[in-house]
Amino acid sequence: MGKPKIATVWLEGCAGCHMSFLDLDEALLDILPLVELTVSPITDFKDFRFPEVELGIIEGGIGNEEQLEIARHLRSKAKIIMTWGDCAVFGGINTLRNWIPQKEVLHRGYVASESTVGGVIPMHAEIPRLLDHVIPVNQAITVDAYIPGCPPSPEVIAYSLTEILKGKIPVLPSEMIHFD
Amino acid sequence: MKNASAQVNITINGKELQVEEGISILFAARQNDIYIPTLCHHPALSEWGGCRLCVVEVDGSPKLAASCVTPVRGGMSIVTDNDRIVESRRTMLEFLFAERNHNCMFCPRSGECELQRLAYELQMDHLTVAFSFKEFPTDVTSRYMAIDHNRCILCGRCIRACQEIAGAQVLGFHHRGPKTMIGMDLKTERSNSTCMDCGVCMQVCPTGAISNRFRSHYAVKGHAPTSEKVESFCSLCGLMCPTDLYAGNNQLIRVDGCLSETAGRPDKGQLCYKGRFQVFQAPAGRLTQPLVRQPDGTWEVATWKDAIQIVAGKMADIQKINSGKALFGITSGMVSNEELILFKELMEKGWSAGYVDTLDGRYFRNLAAVYSKGNGAIAEASWKTIGESDFVLIVGGNPVRTQPLLTSLLRKRNYEENLKLAMVSHIDEQPSFITDYIHVHGHHLADLLRTLAVEAAALRKDNPAAGSKQSKGTATRLSQIGLADKEQGMFTSMARCYAEAKNPLIIIDTAVTGMTDCDCIAPILDLAKLKTAKGQEGQNLLILKPAGNSIGAWRAGIAAPSAPEGKDHLKGGIVLMGEEPALDEDLLGRIHSSEFVAVLTSYALPEWLDRAHVLIPKPMWMEQDGTFMSLDALEKAYRCRTLLPPEGVRPTWESLAAMEESIGMKNRIKSWDELRKKTEEMM
Ligand code: SF4
Ligand code: SF4
Ligand code: SF4
Ligand code: SF4
Ligand code: FES
Repeated sequence: MGKPKIATVWLEGCAGCHMSFLDLDEALLDILPLVELTVSPITDFKDFRFPEVELGIIEGGIGNEEQLEIARHLRSKAKIIMTWGDCAVFGGINTLRNWIPQKEVLHRGYVASESTVGGVIPMHAEIPRLLDHVIPVNQAITVDAYIPGCPPSPEVIAYSLTEILKGKIPVLPSEMIHFD
Repeated sequence: MKNASAQVNITINGKELQVEEGISILFAARQNDIYIPTLCHHPALSEWGGCRLCVVEVDGSPKLAASCVTPVRGGMSIVTDNDRIVESRRTMLEFLFAERNHNCMFCPRSGECELQRLAYELQMDHLTVAFSFKEFPTDVTSRYMAIDHNRCILCGRCIRACQEIAGAQVLGFHHRGPKTMIGMDLKTERSNSTCMDCGVCMQVCPTGAISNRFRSHYAVKGHAPTSEKVESFCSLCGLMCPTDLYAGNNQLIRVDGCLSETAGRPDKGQLCYKGRFQVFQAPAGRLTQPLVRQPDGTWEVATWKDAIQIVAGKMADIQKINSGKALFGITSGMVSNEELILFKELMEKGWSAGYVDTLDGRYFRNLAAVYSKGNGAIAEASWKTIGESDFVLIVGGNPVRTQPLLTSLLRKRNYEENLKLAMVSHIDEQPSFITDYIHVHGHHLADLLRTLAVEAAALRKDNPAAGSKQSKGTATRLSQIGLADKEQGMFTSMARCYAEAKNPLIIIDTAVTGMTDCDCIAPILDLAKLKTAKGQEGQNLLILKPAGNSIGAWRAGIAAPSAPEGKDHLKGGIVLMGEEPALDEDLLGRIHSSEFVAVLTSYALPEWLDRAHVLIPKPMWMEQDGTFMSLDALEKAYRCRTLLPPEGVRPTWESLAAMEESIGMKNRIKSWDELRKKTEEMM
């Protein structure tokens, strides 16, 4: 086997998990030569037709149709799916809107926000529709590895990747699990 | 008959153990250092058995048993840890997380939450069930605590604590099934409930459902909780409640009562809202550097040495012209015995000050009959007798304000044991749990008490003339005082209860001892003496004090024996030593025209900036060591500091000692240890 191919996506999240990945600093230099990073927000791919990969990494929950499609598509191309961060694992902070009716959420954001004058809720065939609820990734596709944390620390990110490189499915020991 | 401590043999995880019959499996395991996770269990509370985190396998039965509510039996074989058990525990956790909103990243309890800790421990790294996303209300109607029902796991700990520790019976489960919520009385909000904000429900809550509105660990420490526990006690009111203080980054994070430690106290480790919450409410304007007022009225920062020199120099100047009579020293009653002793020494020996007093000197003087030296002096009751009395008469204002914890104990005994309570007051504020309540005008209070003493004496069992009829003249006097028929009935029942009680207690509230023209103390003493043997006078009298260490200041002999007189009072040079911002209006009015005012204080309060000439910073109470006295003067305790003072702020004693040095006092105190020893000897 050559270098394992990796694709990473950033769905409904804040980029914090990818930042934690970049925060590996020098350790990143040890890991990167061992893998082939394909589609990823870091490589600035705009095209989400994923190649076949060994590992698909997902940051963020699933809150709209596009995100749902990307997740499903990545699942179909990846042998292992690993979720990074509370948003992908549990839904995280995005689920705040789940406790509020969707109409109210959109109205608050696009019409009633303090800086908006004459706002309208955008509707267009090209704008992905919101799902009723933001859901964790494992409610939409099968997930193989869970790395919670908001965000997971660089050490935890490093651990998740080195376990994969050892051919294992990472399971975090208690002291590495964090929900904050 | 079974022996209470009969032993049985059991095995836990294959280990043979001998334990006391009838104890829970959980208890047996903990006694033998075998870990079982728990959530609804709390060592200070009764068991409930609702969360099922503590399940274990008993004799291989397919049905797991909740170990906290399952008693051991002889021959039992218990397994505390296998895949099936862990799976079951994790499933229970998953349900709890799925049921409500447990997004820890914005929860005030994250990092110190028991639910979260168990999730980590059991490696619950995702949920296999779907979230419910049902919305529950959040109650922020109390200024002290928030209840976020979205974080509540319905473990019932708060309910049991409110009932078993606070004795308040405020909390309960409302509604049923998935809609179940913690309710306050019959309502959903804390405000206007019978809650006394003692916060013990918050202390035992394992999650972020009940949280402190002043501080969360998150706001102080960020991701990694690094708080340290310091054993301490509260010195705000003289009950000296033992506390565990948690501090991180040199900030106070949490104050817990010591629930498992009773140490002869009747309160089971409950705290009051002052000790638990008010300690977070520091006034604005922390003073970190000495300030000196300039001739043009502006304030300028000075070095500590210069500030001390200025104070000493100014006081000496005034002394030269007008003698020590023009020098005054006034201290708050919130400071430690050591500070008090040194302050007294500096004022009296160093400056021969004309008048030294405490902020609460008036209370002391009103109680002169109690505290007078010589034959008249009496001992006070231990506040702990509140747990044993069979009748309690409160004289004065609403004790919910002055002594919330004592009041809570009274209420608890009233609910649980039907303790008889009565109150006579000149302030119209009837506590909800006191039914025998008489309100009269201030100038009638002494009359009423006098009549009560006469009536109670007449009704005393050992009085041969005692009859069931009111003593002569009582009805007339009561009418003169202005008591309606119903109140007259109450009066008679109060007198009777007092006369018949074996062990009655009279509580004198500060609203009485603080009256400007107080003539109530003598009749209260007469009343008290009816129920005590000679030489035991006062043993049934509990006198509340206005400040945390009032009694320390009074015992140190600082409170002036007679009231200040004359228009020149406080006109000269004054040194004030203060902790609390509870400022005396009268004092503030007087020091406006003083020649020189120096204040040792933790805060640059506007009142000081308005009137003083030199401000010298002192550590606040958590930042320095010191000895304090209990309000009944029966106990003393030494407390070490919990936090470091801001850089450059010296302990109060150093500032006082430096003043002594700069006026060249002989035999001065030169070290803290020396001062501590001297204080120990004197008080
Ligand atoms: S209560 Fe505990 S588990 Fe729930 S959100 Fe807060 S920290 Fe997390
Ligand atoms: S603060 Fe005290 S009195 Fe109020 S609900 Fe909680 S336990 Fe009960
Ligand atoms: S508020 Fe806290 S202590 Fe009370 S039931 Fe809910 S989680 Fe338990
Ligand atoms: S009762 Fe007094 S000592 Fe106890 S916590 Fe309250 S203020 Fe502090
Ligand atoms: S701890 Fe035993 S059931 Fe909750």
